[in-house]
Amino acid sequence: MERKVVFPGMLLPYALLAPQILIILVFFYVPAGQALWMSTLLQDPLGLSVQFVGLENFQTVLSDPAYRQTIARTMFFSVAVTVCAMVPAVLLALMADRVVRGAMPYKTILIIPYAIAPAVAGALWLFLFNPSVGVVSYYMGRLGLDWNPKIDGSHAMWLIIIASAWKQIAYNFVFFLAGLQSIPKSLIEAAQIDGASPRRRFWTIIFPLLSPTTFFLIVVNFVYAFFETFGVIHAATQGGPGKSTEIMIYKVWYDGFIAQDLGRSAAQSVILMAIVVALTVVQFRFVERKVHY
Amino acid sequence: MFLTKRALIGAAAAGIMAASTAAYAQQRTNIEVWIGLTGPAQEEMIKYGQEFNASQTKYNVNVTFRGQYPEQRAAAFAAFRAGNPPHVMQMFDAGTGDMFGLPRATVPVSEVFQRAGLQFDPAQFLGPARGYYSRPDGTLNSMPYNVSTAVLFYNKDIFRKAGLDPNKAPATWPEMIDAAKKIRATNAAECGFSTTWLAWIMLEQFSALHDLPMSTEGNGRGGLNAVLNFNDAPRAKMVQTLIDMSRDKSFQYGGRSNDANALFVAGTCGMLLQSSGGHAGIARDLKAEFGVGFLPHWPDLTTSPKNGIVGGASLWVFNAPNRSAEEFRGVAEFLAFMSRTEMLVRFAKATGFLPATNAAFAAMQAEGFFTQNAGRDVPILQLTRGTPTPNSSGYRFGRWTEIRDMYHEEVEKALQGQQTAQVALDNAVRRGNEALRQFERTATAAQ
Repeated sequence: MERKVVFPGMLLPYALLAPQILIILVFFYVPAGQALWMSTLLQDPLGLSVQFVGLENFQTVLSDPAYRQTIARTMFFSVAVTVCAMVPAVLLALMADRVVRGAMPYKTILIIPYAIAPAVAGALWLFLFNPSVGVVSYYMGRLGLDWNPKIDGSHAMWLIIIASAWKQIAYNFVFFLAGLQSIPKSLIEAAQIDGASPRRRFWTIIFPLLSPTTFFLIVVNFVYAFFETFGVIHAATQGGPGKSTEIMIYKVWYDGFIAQDLGRSAAQSVILMAIVVALTVVQFRFVERKVHY
Repeated sequence: MFLTKRALIGAAAAGIMAASTAAYAQQRTNIEVWIGLTGPAQEEMIKYGQEFNASQTKYNVNVTFRGQYPEQRAAAFAAFRAGNPPHVMQMFDAGTGDMFGLPRATVPVSEVFQRAGLQFDPAQFLGPARGYYSRPDGTLNSMPYNVSTAVLFYNKDIFRKAGLDPNKAPATWPEMIDAAKKIRATNAAECGFSTTWLAWIMLEQFSALHDLPMSTEGNGRGGLNAVLNFNDAPRAKMVQTLIDMSRDKSFQYGGRSNDANALFVAGTCGMLLQSSGGHAGIARDLKAEFGVGFLPHWPDLTTSPKNGIVGGASLWVFNAPNRSAEEFRGVAEFLAFMSRTEMLVRFAKATGFLPATNAAFAAMQAEGFFTQNAGRDVPILQLTRGTPTPNSSGYRFGRWTEIRDMYHEEVEKALQGQQTAQVALDNAVRRGNEALRQFERTATAAQ
């Protein structure tokens, strides 16, 4: 007795799909195809000479030890940003979930950072941690810590991790809070009656029921760390000191726009795309199995 | 019927008037000028464009800011690829080698003036600026505009506290080191000295002052096959000095580009090596008396340091298939307007950049500008001292923007203690040469 809605003719369904397909074509497939094509070309900065070199750009990029370090650095950075953005968000969401009176102002305050542009967040944290004028570095200096992200690579790395994660905490908070509120109170109350401690209640009830949210956020945060942290890095460290905060997306921009080497830059963006696709597939195949919907 | 007819005539008359206004506006040939400067210098250049438009009726110059130098360059190159570059583009010093390596993209300014039948003498520009932007045959490829060089700024209050003579700037590196150590020993300031624009000052200016080549082939003038060789003992010693001095903070690294300026104006460092273009900012922000001195040199390497090299930017004229002779003529008229003595004097006074021509410098001297503004003449005297050699007349390296950053990265690693000064320079030279070979390959194919 199933009734199917069938459009008469072929034209209407295609016409209805057309705008979306057009948008994907223009904003995804065409640029991606161009990147792929450009990654096989060797050009001078002004495009006066264009030579087809096959896979040479990939070979140059991948055989460069500095680029392999950049890949490793990007992985570390992405994991660190994801962890630093998700753990505080869960904690904040658990707290906010328990607030009964005046819940709205709390939530609003916690969500606001998400509305701040990455470059602004970078500039803000750079200012706080500036070795000569920063408030935080002043107090760190008084505590006897010699804080200087301008010359110490690991200081610079933590600066951009904190700045990138801070912004994303607000986003994660919204999702965790929504996830928490959809957990039936009866389950938690039943566990309470059975005498389960708050910690046990979290690990055996809340955490498993939050797992779809957590999984979704891991994927989103990873992609965020890979692509959208450019603004933070550009404002805070410009990839330095040395190369200690240069992640893959920053190098794509640098080689393309500053060094004006489009072939090498395009090859890197193809590699970056491949890595992110691979990571997402892995996450869906292996992590999702452990997720309870 | 009558009414409609009258209305029609009225409409037609209005149309004719509108058309003739449009025709009048169209008579003016449009000239696009893209600049990459911010702050007062940007405002001045935009104003000069408007003044040029008011001064004649044939051309309409549109001076626009297209992002800072690197962004502006990326935008102009993309426009060139699309077949419609700006007529004139402001290119920063480090991009000069790319333009020289790809001569088909531009028309030398000497030729632009010649085609327009306008008088033009490259010798009017300050020697090192002319050397930096001209071909071996004397043809000026681009017009020097905002010119700067690096000098030493020192905080006189900190000098007094440290028991140093506030009226005498350290002239050599041993004196500089001595002053920095005294500042630290007496705790007159948290740090002895810092430097902005690391590669420009510690490599490029350093090499020019001490008459040392940065590569084979006359710093790239002899051809695209130049091989970098600045990883020798004197330049490694300079970097090693910075590493050694950073242990007791007689030197403190302040970051790339202009970042270290903050350390000086906050009073954290007693001395700063900085672009002369930073003079106005320091005068505004530093709450202390300061002096200006020449860049220090090593007396064991030379007793008569050469001229420093220029920084800043020059104006390039793009070539494109759709450019008419009339447009080139307009460009020539505009460039002639911009290089008038009174215009350059105005620009130098308003921005702190140096006057690009000898005549403009003389005019500023004559009106007593330098006696009223002590220290403002130091950069010009440094630029014009002695006879320039091939090593002190700039360089022609493609992808130099990127190679500068390679130097920054490697020296930063050395300052972090991850490698020695010699290894840092060896790495910078090796990576730089890879970039030069890549550029040689593409530029040769483009010729």
